[in-house]
Parts: sequence; C-alpha cells; structure tokens
Amino acid sequence: MKKTFLDRHRAGCPDHVARASCPPPNQNQAFILPLAAATAEPSLFSPEFLPRLPQRLVEMILTNFGVPDWLVTIAGFLVAAGTVVAVFLSAFALLSLIERKTLARAQNRIGPNRAGWFGILQPVADGIKMLTKEDIVPAKAEKFLHLLAPILIVVPAILALGVIPYGREWTPVPLELGLVFFFAVGSLTELSVFMAGWASGSKFPMLGAMRAISQMVSYELPLIISALGVIMVSGTLSLPHIVDLQGGFQLGFIPSWNIFTPWGLFAGLLFYICSIAEANRCPFDLPEGESEIVAGHMTEYSGFKYALFFMGEYLGLLAIAGLFVTLFLGGWQAPLPGLGFVPTWFWFFGKLALVIFSYLWIRATYPRVRIDQLMRFAWLCMIPMALLTLPAAGIWHFTGRGLLSWVVVLPLMLVPWVIVAVIFNRRLATTTRTYRFADT
Amino acid sequence: MIPLLILAPLILLAAIGAVWMARPVHAALMLALTLALVAVLYLALGAEFIGLVQFAVYVGAVAVLIVFSLLITRRGDEAEEIERRPKSLITGLLCTVPVLAVLAYSAIFGSNIKLIPWEAKLTIAELGETLFSSHAPAVLALAVLLTAVMIGAALFAREPGKTPEDPAEK
Repeated sequence: MKKTFLDRHRAGCPDHVARASCPPPNQNQAFILPLAAATAEPSLFSPEFLPRLPQRLVEMILTNFGVPDWLVTIAGFLVAAGTVVAVFLSAFALLSLIERKTLARAQNRIGPNRAGWFGILQPVADGIKMLTKEDIVPAKAEKFLHLLAPILIVVPAILALGVIPYGREWTPVPLELGLVFFFAVGSLTELSVFMAGWASGSKFPMLGAMRAISQMVSYELPLIISALGVIMVSGTLSLPHIVDLQGGFQLGFIPSWNIFTPWGLFAGLLFYICSIAEANRCPFDLPEGESEIVAGHMTEYSGFKYALFFMGEYLGLLAIAGLFVTLFLGGWQAPLPGLGFVPTWFWFFGKLALVIFSYLWIRATYPRVRIDQLMRFAWLCMIPMALLTLPAAGIWHFTGRGLLSWVVVLPLMLVPWVIVAVIFNRRLATTTRTYRFADT
Repeated sequence: MIPLLILAPLILLAAIGAVWMARPVHAALMLALTLALVAVLYLALGAEFIGLVQFAVYVGAVAVLIVFSLLITRRGDEAEEIERRPKSLITGLLCTVPVLAVLAYSAIFGSNIKLIPWEAKLTIAELGETLFSSHAPAVLALAVLLTAVMIGAALFAREPGKTPEDPAEK
C-alpha cells in the first residue's frame, strides 16, 4: 500500500491488513494491557484486538495453507466487513427496541414489554412479522425500481460504516480519502429515496420523496461545510488520522477533541443538527411523518422491503452519528488521562451510545418542523453560520491554538450566532398566522 | 486495461439507454448510472479523489437535480413517452459518425499519443497544492462564475414585480 499521511506520522506502522505483527502503540497514550509483554506490543488476544480477532485468525489460517497474498487480503476484508455488518445489524435491532422504550418512558408509559423479559425479544418479533407479511406492489408501480430502491438505501449506509475508525486498531477500510468516500456514498441515498418515491406510482410517495430530497440536499451543505473546518485543521481527509490528531489533553484533564475548540463547538453543533436532518429524524422527519404524509416515500412498501427501509435509515443514523463522534468528539480517544487500559472501541461505542440517546431524546421532545421553516432554517441560518466556522478555524490555528485563540475566536463566532438567532426568531422563522374564529 | 475493457461497454450501454429510453425518469436514472460507472472507471484508474468527487457531485448532485426537476414539473399521473422520429436518427448519425471517425483515426494512427504509466498516482496533498497554487486563477474564476450563476438563478426564479412574502400571512 502506498505511503499515506498516517504512515508518515506513525513510522514503522505497516498496512492494517495481511500482517500478523501489530503496529507500535501511539506515543501519546501509554497504556498497560493485562496480557501484554514488557515490550508493550499488544498481543493478539488482548481486549483491544477483540474486534480484529476474526480477521486476523482467518488471515493466519489462510496464510498457513499457502493461499496467495491477494486472496488473503480479500478474505480479510470480507471478514472485517462481516464483523462490522454483524455488529451494526445487532445494534440496529437493539436500537429499535431502545428507541421505543426511551420514547415510551419520555411519554410516561412503558413501551414493549411482552416479547420476552423487558421486551428484549421485540426486535425478533418485529423481524418475524416483517418477514411473514404479504409483499404488496401497487399495480401502477414500476416493479424493478420499486425493488431496487430499498436495496439502494441500505447499501450506502453499510458502505459508509466501513470507513469509520471504531478503535485504534479497528478501521475496516482505512482509506486515505475516507471523508470524501463517506459523503459520496451518502449522496447515493438521495437518489434511492427518489427512486422509492417515483416507483411507487402514487401521490403520497412522490410528495414525500420531493420533500425528502429537498431536505437532504439543503442540509448536506452545512454538514459538509462544518466538516471542512475539521479537515482544514487536521490537514487530512483520512478519518483514522483525524482521530489520532485529537489525542492528548490540555490543562491536564480536558481532552483536545475538536468540540472543545471555539470553532469546533459551533461546527459540531451545526453538524449535529444537520445529521438529524440528513437521517430524516424528528424534528426533521416531515418526509415520513405519519400525520402528514402517511409514510412518505415508504408508503407503498410492506413487509421486508419496509424493514430494509427502516434498517437503511437506522444504519445511516448510526453511520452519521459515528462520523460526528469521529470528527468532533475524538473518536476512540479516552476522555480522561490514565484510562488507557480500557480498549479504545469501548470509548467509541460509549460516545456513540450517548449521541444516539440524545437523538432519541430530541425525538421525544421537539415537534416536527414545517417544510418551509426547515428550508429557511437551512439556507438562511445554517449555511452562513457554517461558512463562518471556516475563517474561525483558520484564525484559531494561526493565533496559536491556546487561550489567546479562545479569546479571539469565541466572540467572532458567538456574536453573529446570537444576532442570527435573534433575527431569525423574530423575523424569518415565525410567521403571523391569523385565525378566523380563534382570535377572540 | 481489464477495468477499461469491462467498464467501457457498460458505460456505452448505459449512455445509449440514457438517450434511448422512452420515459424521462428512466432516462435520467440511466444517466445517473452512466455517471456512476464513469466514477468507477476513475477509481479503477487510480484517481481516487476525482472518482469519489465525481460520484458525490455528479451522481449525488447533478443527477438528483435532474430527477428532482422532473419530479416537480410532472404530475406523474400520465406516463409520458419521449416521441421518437426516424429522421432525427439520420441527422444524429450524420453528426456523430464523422466526429467518432476523426477521433478513432487520430487514436490509432496518431504519432503524438503517449501512454501514461499505470502507477502514476497523485496524492491528495499534491493535488491540493497544485490546484491552489499554479491553477489558482482558474479556481478563482470558477468561483466567481458559480457565484454569478447562483445569483442569476435566484433572480431568474423570482417572479417579476412581487416581493417574496409568506403565504400564511394572507
């Protein structure tokens, strides 16, 4: 593999695949592993390497049997992809249950508790239900596109899950252009939403697809622009390297994650809001809100195709939450010094769980945003603020990244933010509605 | 060589489908497929950044724009078919065959054709540096052009004589 930026910074680190030897540990964090020797090289069976274990085992077995190197690489990648898919599909199943329980608790009820102890078998029951439902295709639908759309919604989500660094030693496909890859496959989702809406051949799906596409296109801009600040400061597009650069601690105990920088605070918040909109979650779930448009582009789908849509949406949510954790919350970096013995994927999934829980909490709390409010918010409010984070990041970098930078950059971001929030709330977002009979 | 041999017929078929299909939406989706296959060709040739950006920009933005405008401007109740006229086939052939013949002749018998070595890869850092240092005037001119296009489109889409007001205020 050609030398990447990552290789130049971690000298002696071979490519992540098809080698039985492990790369030397990151110099920023000295960690003590329970099974490691005094040379501090992690052994194969340590908890840090647990996710990589199937891949390494398959590679070692195949190399033992004299299989050519390129075939071993392909088999290793397949096993790594299989690990990721297995982990995230079970996460999806668990998430569907946790979401219903969390929403229920927020609404002062209990949620599913019939299928097994505390409803833990509810995803299984849901899966069986989806599989045994009749597959109805409307008469006016275009059969091929109707079948292709749910597949094309799941594929980009799984592709995007492949480039996120889940741990120090666990990036399934460590691409040098990982971030561009993520956004490229994310844009495939829009086309497949259109296909779903058009191929159903009825009005609700087409309206839903139209709204969904306009929403996703509008919120993709602030998403990418806020990620541009991170790219600028990190100097690389490779996600494992972006996480590496967020290591270390300032003032002894504050981790140098990108969200604890003056521009990162606002860029992270923008990214967070746009990720909710990109995943079509409440409060931005107008394309699929039940009281508005039945189910939007998924109306004419039943049975397992609907389950595929559901899965694609949740996997996309997990992927973009994972990207938020990677870009702004420091990925797999530990939050406090001295916690180096905990495997790094634990921190990643812990942060991911917190972010997903916040998504569920927001869903339970906020009302749905109207389509014109949504579009105005994106174009008039978020894009200028996202564009402002770019010079803010530059000024932060060139004033030394320390206390002076905070003093200079924080008012630069905060003042326009407050001004736009005030103006937006007063003049642009709210419209005076007059009611004929309810005014007295 | 092998990726080109596999991809070129597929791209050709998809492009022919983009102009041959009867329904406009099918044609637009075949265009998206053509652009996606071209992105795959770029990736196979080792131009990773251009391939991914082609995917993100063409398939993710241009094709979405085309289908979105089709979605807005059509009712979708009636199935529209693009009407085909046999005479335009002759005109089309008269226009394309000489161009392709000139291209093929210069490719086969031309003396200034050089083959780029297969391992010539450009890192993204070099690409960025070259783009923004030696080609910076072109990038700046493009930026001004795109800004002018956006402003022009926004002005063009406004209805003349009306200020934009909220329909809920009535």
